[in-house]
Amino acid sequence: MAFHKINVTINDELEQVVVPSNMTLMAMLRESLAMTGTKNGCSAGECGACTVLLNGEPVNSCMVLAVECDGANIVTVEGLAEEKQLSPIQQAIIHEGGVQCGFCTPGILISSHALLKRNPNPSENEIREALVGNLCRCTGYVRIIESVKEAAKIQSAAT
Amino acid sequence: MARIDTQNVPSPIGENAPRIDAREKVTGAAIFADDIQFGNSLLHARIKRSPHPHAFIKKIDVTKARALPGVKAVVTGQDFPGYIGLYLKDRHIFCRDHVRYVGDPVVGVAAVSEEIAEKALDLIEVEYEVLEPVLDPEFGANPKAPVLHPDLGQYSVANFIFPQPGTNISNHFKIRKGDVDSVWGKCAAIVERKYRIPHIQHVPIEPHIAIAKADESGEITLWGSSQSPFAQRNLIAQALGISQSKMRVIAPFVGGGFGCKAGVSMEALAVAIATKVKGHPVKLLLTREEEFFTAFVRQGLVSYIKMGCDEKGQLLAMENTFYWDGGAYTEYGVNITRASGYSSSGPYEVPNVKTDSYCIYTNHPVGGAMRGFGMPEIHAGLEQCIDELALQIGMDAVEFRKLNCLKTGSTLVTGSKMHATGLSTCIEKTAEAIGWGKKSPASGPNKRRGKGLALMWKAPAMPPNAGSSAWVELAEDGTVNVGVGGQEIGQGVFTVAAQMAAGALGVPYESVRIATPVDTRYSPYEWQTVASRLTWSMGNAVVNAAKDAKRQILDTVAEAWEESPEDLDIVNGMVISYKSEKEMPLKNLVIYGLPKPGGQGWVGGPVVGRGNFMPTYVTGLDAETGQGERAVVHYTTGAQAVELEVDLDTGRIEILKGVSTFDVGKAINPELVKAQMEGGFVQGMSSALFESLQLKDGVVKNPSFVDYRIATSADTPRDLEAYIVEVAQDDGPWGARGIGEHSMVPTIPAIANAIYDAVGIRFDGPPFTAEKVYLAMLDAGIVK
Amino acid sequence: MTINTHPALPEFEYVQPTTLAETSEFLVSHPGEARPFLGGTDVFVRMRDGFLTPKFLVDVKNLNGTNNLSFDPQSGLTLGAAVNMNQVIASPEVQVHYPLLAEACRSVASYQLRTRATVVGNICNASPAGDTIGACLALDGTLQIHGTDGLRQESLSSFFLGPGKTTLKPGDIVTAIHFPLPPQKCSGTYLKLGRNQLSDLSIVGVTALGHPDSSCESGYRFRLALASVAPVPFVPVEAETYLANHSITPESLREAAYLSANACSPIDDVRGSARYRKEMVRNLSAKALTEVWKNLN
Repeated sequence: MAFHKINVTINDELEQVVVPSNMTLMAMLRESLAMTGTKNGCSAGECGACTVLLNGEPVNSCMVLAVECDGANIVTVEGLAEEKQLSPIQQAIIHEGGVQCGFCTPGILISSHALLKRNPNPSENEIREALVGNLCRCTGYVRIIESVKEAAKIQSAAT
Repeated sequence: MARIDTQNVPSPIGENAPRIDAREKVTGAAIFADDIQFGNSLLHARIKRSPHPHAFIKKIDVTKARALPGVKAVVTGQDFPGYIGLYLKDRHIFCRDHVRYVGDPVVGVAAVSEEIAEKALDLIEVEYEVLEPVLDPEFGANPKAPVLHPDLGQYSVANFIFPQPGTNISNHFKIRKGDVDSVWGKCAAIVERKYRIPHIQHVPIEPHIAIAKADESGEITLWGSSQSPFAQRNLIAQALGISQSKMRVIAPFVGGGFGCKAGVSMEALAVAIATKVKGHPVKLLLTREEEFFTAFVRQGLVSYIKMGCDEKGQLLAMENTFYWDGGAYTEYGVNITRASGYSSSGPYEVPNVKTDSYCIYTNHPVGGAMRGFGMPEIHAGLEQCIDELALQIGMDAVEFRKLNCLKTGSTLVTGSKMHATGLSTCIEKTAEAIGWGKKSPASGPNKRRGKGLALMWKAPAMPPNAGSSAWVELAEDGTVNVGVGGQEIGQGVFTVAAQMAAGALGVPYESVRIATPVDTRYSPYEWQTVASRLTWSMGNAVVNAAKDAKRQILDTVAEAWEESPEDLDIVNGMVISYKSEKEMPLKNLVIYGLPKPGGQGWVGGPVVGRGNFMPTYVTGLDAETGQGERAVVHYTTGAQAVELEVDLDTGRIEILKGVSTFDVGKAINPELVKAQMEGGFVQGMSSALFESLQLKDGVVKNPSFVDYRIATSADTPRDLEAYIVEVAQDDGPWGARGIGEHSMVPTIPAIANAIYDAVGIRFDGPPFTAEKVYLAMLDAGIVK
Repeated sequence: MTINTHPALPEFEYVQPTTLAETSEFLVSHPGEARPFLGGTDVFVRMRDGFLTPKFLVDVKNLNGTNNLSFDPQSGLTLGAAVNMNQVIASPEVQVHYPLLAEACRSVASYQLRTRATVVGNICNASPAGDTIGACLALDGTLQIHGTDGLRQESLSSFFLGPGKTTLKPGDIVTAIHFPLPPQKCSGTYLKLGRNQLSDLSIVGVTALGHPDSSCESGYRFRLALASVAPVPFVPVEAETYLANHSITPESLREAAYLSANACSPIDDVRGSARYRKEMVRNLSAKALTEVWKNLN
């Protein structure tokens, strides 16, 4: 099986990685780059624990080949905070109690972050729809939904 | 010198302290077992599993697999004769001569990559002689059924479990209280029903994972997603015939457990394989598909429930028969049989109860502990029967419950007495919050609206002597390090442990750290993170350890200041004297002690507080009657209510509002308690509306998220309310008792009762899928 | 039995041709071994489950024009094969002129999957449950296909042969789907029934599109399509004809729904029973038609 040398920007840093054809973006992040913030929950595009931004848009990284990411821009949970300051959604999810076991959290944060970028003031229904691909078994989602609303307020106060 | 204000010091107890682990979880820094970096010596394991529900293993040929380049070990049950199990040792690590469920592990492979290990599985040839399977627990209890464990009589078993050798019954728990037969005639109303509660799975978002390494000296290290590091150490060591001191378990954050990561399931496989490749860590990560059926599932149940009351609505008798579909191995499930037996009355005072709770071997996936430990399964039927009885007698369902529910001092189904309980308050609060008695109009002509309510009770199900321990140390900067053996599985126990340590010691919450990851080499013993027991049991240990540290500190300062320890205190991290008004920050003395008065030497030294807690008062239960003085440590009680709508076009249920009220004794962190109520409600709702493992001929037909649906953000109710009642537990820290499991227990019957209120239909069990509801309405003529 | 589901994707070679000609040539010279893919959301899952074992995965996302979505006020909408569903949903032209297509896309899976999933991929996967197929049929989509003989068009109505089976020949790649201008004053809806609120596959999916049409006796033409009730995306022709020939009333809409339900042959499977599906076709068709009719007036 062939190996491909790819250049990919991850959290604003350019990485050069050699990947086999069948390696997913998720596996590249977790195994090749030891960036374990992105989680493996099902490897089938169903649970959303592996959600990252690919060229600004949320994808299940288990459903993207690493080799497809040559020249791409990736953002993972590790890239959400700015220096010492947590992003609005990170702050809000702590404040609202939307974190329990934490395994779904990275994916939730990425999906929510992207939602707030494209829709700074989402309705309850829009939040529910945007997060439907991020399964959580601990929280029952209520505090997660509240976190997104809170993050929207933090974000608009900052701008 | 400024005087410390001792009147207005905020106590962390009862405060909504921010989670101690939140920041690392939101930045992606939190380490779960699959995140640990092991380097190039890491090997990957895959398991070849039985495709048959019941078969004799005739031959295993691993030669081709062994020869595949990159394969480092191929392991079968031949090398591991030991039995393993928590309450009953009825399984081997790898199957030896029989396979008893589809997925039963037969061969383990370790290779340099997961891909190669996976390829090696295809090169292994196993010859089976297929045997007749047992696929139903009632059939399993029948003498005609094939006996799945002929050696049941020889298995080592806990003395409160009663297997019936020569049968498939691995536990038979009985309640014989009063005389039900003499009382049915006196009942003004009787309800008799049969329920089928399907198997479901915990579905933690993090699948099971274990990494094991055996070194040349024979010491084994196991890293894993684990609710039970100490129990795993114990059980695996016993199964391998080695000392517990040779088995070390390191347990980082758990990405959801709900009981499936308690006891031992797949972890022993990784350990067994690792013993063949000494020096190499071997990682076994279950695929999501394997997660659904090869580790633990929640047992299925067939329950026969009969109950009767007099004309005033007073419960007179209950008769229950529970056939638990325990699966291929019931080493854990036998205690669910017992717990459901001693809880079989529901949270009611009933003078006559007859219960037979059977744990039955079947060729189904292995039943283990799942949130509620038998309570959701039995309450699903009990709380519907209560509603039906109330209706028959012409009484309001809430009034009926208020009349019969347990109060302080009530006599329980086991003959013991109920401790102080706020159950009645929970019922009132819940009924009020859901607007009980008020009917609100449906949202459209094709909707029907209904309300339903249900109660619950549960005690921590565990051996009578399950213990906790803790230590407390301080560092030079005054921060407090707390050692525990309990696990953070999302419930927030690290946070409340820190709050309790802070409260008991007298320091700010922010200065407390929990010594993680739990590591059986360094962490103090904890039985298991199950049974909603940690806040209470581990909390007591933590408090005892903090008090021990405090006593050491005050004794040191008392000597240095020539005062009496009774006049001293620690407030907000400062040692203060109420008498002399002297004060000193803790950090000044916790490592180096203090100089003696007059400079003649030193007193004190490094402070190490230690504490433990083990209940001392649990008595046994009579094997024939199930009666005893004190069967359990305590009960958490509560109520839930829902308002829902049924869509007449599709049968779809929409939960509009959910209300939970539980008596937790004392909410150490109220927001975390409410978060458990919310999460448990939604998991209960999901099990009520969507979930079942569809078993056909022993095969799970839907082992993936595609066809095993769980609640998503779009399914959660718009209005979810959680209320806390606090009637103190006499031996709980600040009066606290547990909440983790309880919020999932009454949800199925609350929803079932609401469906009945809406459309007048009941079912023999969940899930109340849209299809099931619609076709029932069609058959009943409610829709055409 | 999913005991065969692998932890990760099996081995294959990743190939990314740069021209359509190169792509068709590669596919034809590696018969049975090479598979084109766009978003991969179906292909990767089936590979992991052991149902597909291609030796080559051919990435057809960056071939000329496949990334374009363009609307021409004269000829209609051309949706390149690689345009993902979120892009379709967000496109102002789609929202204004083909809202049914946006609605159908929006019902698929989750936002993350829709970043990768494509309408063309949904069509080529040819699952009877495909959520966007009904809209594409109702909107008279035609596929633009590049094969070893060059470019050709093919109507969607004859494209599906069975579950996972289409008329595509070795070497064929669909480069785009084209929709003519929608009929004047049309209104459409896609009602999808899943087991839970969102993100499920369809147990039953009903597409309904209606518009004034003086060539019909009733004055209106309705286009219908059903998902998950037959081996292929199913058009209940009898119901469509009925509505063309009978004046539109609540009764005739109900009758059309009944005809739709009668015409289809769903199966029992792990997701739902045939009996329930038939009932749902009837109920959801009635609901969809009623909604569309309301909007037409």
